[in-house]
Amino acid sequence: MAKKYGMVIDLKRCIGCHTCAIACKLENNVPMGLFWNRVLTRGGPGLDIPEGSYPYLKREYLPVACQHCENAPCVKVCPVGATYKDPDGRVLINYDRCIGCRYCMTACPYNARVFNWQEPLRIPGHSYGSQGVPDRKRGVVEKCSFCQQLVDAGGEPFCVTCCPARARKFGDLNDPESEVSRLLRERPAERLLEDRGTRPQVYYLR
Amino acid sequence: MRDKGYYLWLGILSVLSVLGLGAWIYQVTHGLVVTGMRNIVTWGLYITAFMFLVGLSAGGIIVSSSATVFNLPQFKPAARPAVLLSVVSILMATLFIFVDLGRPDRILNLLTSPKLNSPLIWDVIIITLYLTLSLYYLYLMGQPETGEGRLRVVAALALPTAILVHSVTAWIFGLQIARPTWHSALLAPLFVVSALDSGLALLLLVLLGLDRSGWYRVDKSLFSTLGGVLAVLIAVDVFFVFSEVLTALYPAEERLMRYVNLLLKGSLAPYFWGEILLAVIPFLLLVFRSNREKPGLVGLAASLVVIGVFLKRIWLLFSALLIPLLPYAPGVPLGSYLWPPFEFTRYYPVAWGLTGKYTPTWVEIGIFIGIFAFGGLLFMVLARAILAPGTPKESQGVSCGLTS
Ligand code: SF4
Ligand code: SF4
Repeated sequence: MAKKYGMVIDLKRCIGCHTCAIACKLENNVPMGLFWNRVLTRGGPGLDIPEGSYPYLKREYLPVACQHCENAPCVKVCPVGATYKDPDGRVLINYDRCIGCRYCMTACPYNARVFNWQEPLRIPGHSYGSQGVPDRKRGVVEKCSFCQQLVDAGGEPFCVTCCPARARKFGDLNDPESEVSRLLRERPAERLLEDRGTRPQVYYLR
Repeated sequence: MRDKGYYLWLGILSVLSVLGLGAWIYQVTHGLVVTGMRNIVTWGLYITAFMFLVGLSAGGIIVSSSATVFNLPQFKPAARPAVLLSVVSILMATLFIFVDLGRPDRILNLLTSPKLNSPLIWDVIIITLYLTLSLYYLYLMGQPETGEGRLRVVAALALPTAILVHSVTAWIFGLQIARPTWHSALLAPLFVVSALDSGLALLLLVLLGLDRSGWYRVDKSLFSTLGGVLAVLIAVDVFFVFSEVLTALYPAEERLMRYVNLLLKGSLAPYFWGEILLAVIPFLLLVFRSNREKPGLVGLAASLVVIGVFLKRIWLLFSALLIPLLPYAPGVPLGSYLWPPFEFTRYYPVAWGLTGKYTPTWVEIGIFIGIFAFGGLLFMVLARAILAPGTPKESQGVSCGLTS
């Protein structure tokens, strides 16, 4: 059976430290002003602000990157096939083909895609990404690839490696023996904006 | 005298076109960061203008080809200017897509690796077909020996193509599940009727202009007939908008209401209510026969309709883009970053956005004006060549005769 890579994020374990966001940025050479992975605060109006009034407070963190949707709207709309579903169930981008029309950005319900509005700027002034990360030029869209360069070499996405709370698990959703499949059997999980019918391959445990 | 005016306008429009070209070159060298678009509001003035122009184009040709198809001889004089207008508008619309691309150098990928799943590719196909048909139609109408039957066949093909052109443009937006205010089955009919009223209104303005310039005589009764048609179309347009908004308001579903409130009382309210006002006023003007008999008033109503439909394109586009579906802080990284930080704070005080903001920059406005000027230029030159009676010399004689 073909692989279907997916991720499971345990919201009970996530401490909102943003390590995954930074790890992603380093690993994938994401330029200034852009993030492939971000940690949102479910609760009050701002970052880290809880909902309600003291002492009846509630707060939860929600790390969001591309959901690698099974029924991916971004893949459908791309006019040149630059965004595609790969045989292992990931949604990937061919950066040499993208014409920068940003249609996929309006199609994505999660705002997971970011655009290179300017010449990619990196501080310090050199590329910090790891080897094998595709080069993205000004004028193309980019997003999370489940760290294709690491996973294809037998590893796991860098956010999974770096999460200090071990909240992230990665694996093959089609393999019943995998850890992600086991977690999804054992614990209640949610997917983001399920009513949009995109069938994300990123699950959130609660 | 008239000729002097013509060359003066040619001069002004050429200068504006060149300035627009300059703005585009500036944009290409600096990237789309020089526009007001960012990661939440990823489309802006260019796509608004694209929608608007496709509408103008389709509207004109629908009216004129129905004249041939349904054999309405009183509309016939409008046919040639209408098709010319369509050709020019659709070329301008294509230019707007082109300037919106982040990688214009790769535009040919649309032809070399098209993916038929994408409504954008449907649009490429249908616009190509449409342009070919319109040009052929224009050519046929210019040949005095063209038989009525042949003309009718082409018109009969052009009519559904024009309706499709605008429906496909609507589907670019309307098929997006991620955008609550776009995702509606009514979007395509809404686009088509907006195309009809704005296209017809612009056609009326152009006919008035041509009539004044003396190149192309139009009977006064045509204005009043077309004015009546325009009134009906405006009413249908408002009805569709009402139906759409009511369908959203009545269930008052929480998430959709965030978007609808943008229109009713939020940042888009001026555009939304402005459009309603600019539909109601021209309707009230045109509904009376005595008003319709005054070409000046018909012209006024028509210009209000054109502006109103432009406002509608604005609220249609941005109502869906301004609010991300995941409403959690800190939101979305906006995607521009300048170094050193002095520049950063001066130009880009916010790196993250919970909701979108958009103001077109001077570069976008420059390109916008440039493309419109170029369209105007193209129309003037073509209109003079195709519509003006006889050779330029003769037409000069005619206009002199009129002024003296
Ligand atoms: S999250 Fe967005 S970018 Fe990722 S697959 Fe789904 S629609 Fe595409
Ligand atoms: S911006 Fe690039 S990846 Fe996105 S739809 Fe356009 S061509 Fe495809």
